[in-house]
Amino acid sequence: MDWNFIPLAFGQIVSPLTIGYALAALGLAVHFGFTGLLNFGQAGFMAVGGYFFAITTVKFDWPLWSSLIACVVGAVLFALLLGIPTLRLRADYLSIVTIAAAEIVRYTVKTPAISKFTGGSDGINGAGRDFYAMNPIPEGQYGFGVLTYNNNQLWSIIVGWAVVLIAALLVWQLMRSPWGRVIKGIREDEDAVRSLGKNVTWYKMQSLILGGVLAALGTVLIIIPTSLQPDNYGTQTTFFLYTIVLLGGATTVFGPILGSIIFWIVLNLADGVLSILVLNHLVPITSIQQGPIRFIIVGIALMILVIFRPQGILGKKREAQFSE
Amino acid sequence: MVKALRARPALLRVVLALLAFALAAAVFVFATPSAHAAPNSGGVPTVDTTPAPADSPQSIGIWVRVAADKSNVPNISVKVTGKGVTQTVVTGADGKISVPLAKPGTFTIELDTASLPEGLKVLGDNPREVTVSTGNQGVPGYFLLGTGDSSVVPSATASPGAGGSSDSGSKSSESLADRVLPRIATGLIFGLLIALASIGVSLIYGTTGLNNFAHGELVTFGALTGYVVSGVLDMPGWLGIASALVLGGVFGYVQDLGLWQPLRKKGIGLIPLMIVSIGLSLALRYIFQFIFGPDLLITPNNQTAVLNIGPIHLRGTDISSPIICIVVLLLVAFALLRTRIGKATRAVADNRSLAAATGINVERVIRIVWVAGGALAGLSGALIGYYQPVSWQTGASILLLIFASVTLGGLGTAFGALVGSLVIGLIVDLSQAFGVPSNMKFVAALLVMIIILIFRPQGILGRKDRIG
Amino acid sequence: MSDTTERVQLQIGEPEPGVRKVDPILIADKVRRTFGGVNAVDVAHVEIPRHAITALIGPNGAGKTTFFNLLTGFDKPDAGTWSLDGKSLAGVPAYKVARRGMVRTFQLTKALNLLTVLENMRLGAGHQGGEHFLEALIPALWKKREEYITAQAMELLARFKLDTKADDYAASLSGGQRKLLEMARALMSEPELVMLDEPMAGVNPALTQSLLGHILNLKKEGMTVLFVEHDMHMVQTIADWVIVMAEGKIVAEGYPDVVMRDQAVIDAYLGAHHDTDLGSLTGQLDVAKDIGDTHLAAEIAEEIAEEEATDGKR
Repeated sequence: MDWNFIPLAFGQIVSPLTIGYALAALGLAVHFGFTGLLNFGQAGFMAVGGYFFAITTVKFDWPLWSSLIACVVGAVLFALLLGIPTLRLRADYLSIVTIAAAEIVRYTVKTPAISKFTGGSDGINGAGRDFYAMNPIPEGQYGFGVLTYNNNQLWSIIVGWAVVLIAALLVWQLMRSPWGRVIKGIREDEDAVRSLGKNVTWYKMQSLILGGVLAALGTVLIIIPTSLQPDNYGTQTTFFLYTIVLLGGATTVFGPILGSIIFWIVLNLADGVLSILVLNHLVPITSIQQGPIRFIIVGIALMILVIFRPQGILGKKREAQFSE
Repeated sequence: MVKALRARPALLRVVLALLAFALAAAVFVFATPSAHAAPNSGGVPTVDTTPAPADSPQSIGIWVRVAADKSNVPNISVKVTGKGVTQTVVTGADGKISVPLAKPGTFTIELDTASLPEGLKVLGDNPREVTVSTGNQGVPGYFLLGTGDSSVVPSATASPGAGGSSDSGSKSSESLADRVLPRIATGLIFGLLIALASIGVSLIYGTTGLNNFAHGELVTFGALTGYVVSGVLDMPGWLGIASALVLGGVFGYVQDLGLWQPLRKKGIGLIPLMIVSIGLSLALRYIFQFIFGPDLLITPNNQTAVLNIGPIHLRGTDISSPIICIVVLLLVAFALLRTRIGKATRAVADNRSLAAATGINVERVIRIVWVAGGALAGLSGALIGYYQPVSWQTGASILLLIFASVTLGGLGTAFGALVGSLVIGLIVDLSQAFGVPSNMKFVAALLVMIIILIFRPQGILGRKDRIG
Repeated sequence: MSDTTERVQLQIGEPEPGVRKVDPILIADKVRRTFGGVNAVDVAHVEIPRHAITALIGPNGAGKTTFFNLLTGFDKPDAGTWSLDGKSLAGVPAYKVARRGMVRTFQLTKALNLLTVLENMRLGAGHQGGEHFLEALIPALWKKREEYITAQAMELLARFKLDTKADDYAASLSGGQRKLLEMARALMSEPELVMLDEPMAGVNPALTQSLLGHILNLKKEGMTVLFVEHDMHMVQTIADWVIVMAEGKIVAEGYPDVVMRDQAVIDAYLGAHHDTDLGSLTGQLDVAKDIGDTHLAAEIAEEIAEEEATDGKR
């Protein structure tokens, strides 16, 4: 029996997916947990950020910093495009429009007509070129046991977690400032905050932009060590993010980060256990049937979380009264 | 009979419902081997019944060009055989055609030399083998033609099969009517199918305030039931459709009984409730994939055109499906307008506390709405099986269209859902006649929904809400 | 104040609907709002006197809250203009109206439960640089202003006897205390005109006296007050001027004691609504949105009664 899956699962703490999803989940917490915006298109922000970065880096040969700026600008534009018409709509309309927008992005990038730029269904590879070029770590293997990484992977891990921590600090500082106070008020009762002279719509837009930029940057951290695949940014990604956010605590800053870590570790553990069971014929399912099981787990976990512990691990119960 | 049941303890009803559901589950699990072959009896879908892009995990990209100047050659017939399936496709104006494949494997592609223009012949092997791995889209199946007359004149051939809709967007010398009329037909049919599901969503939203993200799975449930009954169990099609209707209703009943009603009683808010429906949607979707696998499943259907009206070619099911839809929709309309329970439903959807204050049993109304919604969605799914191949994500792929229809028509109004569905169905199919590539057809519908919401947030038939 | 000899003359000419005021702070003209064919608000002309306490009274459904919503930018009228201190407010969004010096409270108290009492108060203050995104990131830039408004908040809270609750969550306050909080919070921005929507609703009788005292204090501090109320005793006690609305229109204006005896007012409250559901008059039931709903509900009630009758016969 190959027990390697256990340390490998815990090694997920440093995987690109964990890091990227932590940032995207932090962004979603800003939208949903702090401001009360029902954004179901976070995968769309991820895709927009990823494509702006990848296209400018790989297809146009822009330097790293310019591509990053393009990525942020893309996220801001998407937020404006989404927000201007919809932020005055009711919450449930916003959820439908944001899902639709994210799917529109996904369908559009797969269009054969523009696949010269977007790579069509195959996506884009090699976005990490400039990033690795500035890697100061000497070549070699680092780590122990099954968790060894080469210098490029290590560089990704270090930079990735640094970005996550800086972002977390920024959001934390914002939320304890007067700006954060207005946002928390908006979550509870927009009209009350309006009656106090605050431009509620503009605050919601700022929140949308902030959370969207975080998601875009998170995607950059994912695609650099791996690749950009359009079908990774469908609605189930947004649903995963919601699970992560609710798991960790939607109204906290470190909840989404913790949630991402736990989410990916648990999924990998479950996958590993299932693999062993299947390979050794201990359960009557085929290896093809093993794939969907992780998603079934996530779906059931989401339901249980929201019914029995909506505040997640780090959140406070009273703050989980999601307004209607 | 209803009155008799009313006199018996509620427990009996619960037991009956669970038995019925267990029976359905048993049928699924035992009738579906994990590695199954798609039945061939119903013939093979031509390019006209190509499934929605999200449903085909792998595909071959056929491309026919003249070797000398690399110009594209349209209207070339290519046959793709393999994995128990035969498909014949025709290249479009750009010389290309995508062949979605239900399963990965090795396929034989053969260019039909009879469709070649004069003086051109195939360079290289014909037929050839192409290997397609799981999830690989656009695996190259390229043909180069020997130098000859480079001015290839595309001939106008309206493709056979349902509706005459061509997936590749070849529009060279087809008349406007040739392009548009078949799509209006398919668009209306599609719209009617969506309407069945949308009305359930709208009524559930109206009576309980829930945006049911798991409604797509009710549709998939019906589609898979239809497939199992008439495909795997080889029973007549009408039985498959009837089973989907009945079992869909049971599924809806069980959902309200076991999940939604207890949550309502618990006082859970509308947003957490919506998230619960999302979790349920994920879980159900992948349970379906667990049982039925990731492949496309084809409900047996006779593909020959039975009725031809100009450029519109209709199969038997293209006629019976809309008729069934219309009859059912009329029944629903009658029920809502004339029967006591229908009026009670409209009252609850309009103003729950006022309805309760006049003595209406709100919980009973809601239960009936779930049963009806489940039944309608099940019927919709079964009928979709005659329109395109189905899979574990059939319902999920049209969920967004359902929401778009409901929103467009006006959240909470049943007739709005119908109007919205027809509009969405028409946009999805008509957009392809006007240059929108087939993988963007949903985008057109979604964009229309967004635009209309901006200018008229209450939808077409909805009422403006008052603040304060 | 019902002492007629000491009365300050607020109006020009005889008191009547739309009469001009000596020193109006708010003037509204031809304001109209219709819902589904019904005129919810149809005010030809009204002026609110400065530095006075004006009561806006009328039966339920008269359009008082709708009028409030229109004036403060929470709703859009079909027609009409109004101005504060001569500057037009028509079409101005709600948050800008508040910044211009016209604040309002709500019928259903909107104390922000998830914030502490002190945080609620701080939110009420204007001119906070820390509320801007970039400035918020650097505490040094907004610390001083924060201290200032905290001091201002504590002072107000002390006045409203809520200072001991400063660090408690607003959710833990009683209903009456939340009303006081909402009022105190509205004062943080030092407004000119304070609009109170049913300040007495849901407050236990023991608290009403202190609430009245607070409202009188507002006048002492130089603010103008406009409040909506049902409670006639309260109106008699503190109002300097009374405006009566019925069916969207202003039917009477004048000094409290005089208006109470006006026949038009009495009619408005008692005579005109025999056929309306008693529940809607006393506000116990959600008013049906339109006639269709009431008919539908009545239809169903009839049929249920029929069914039960036939069941009973079996």
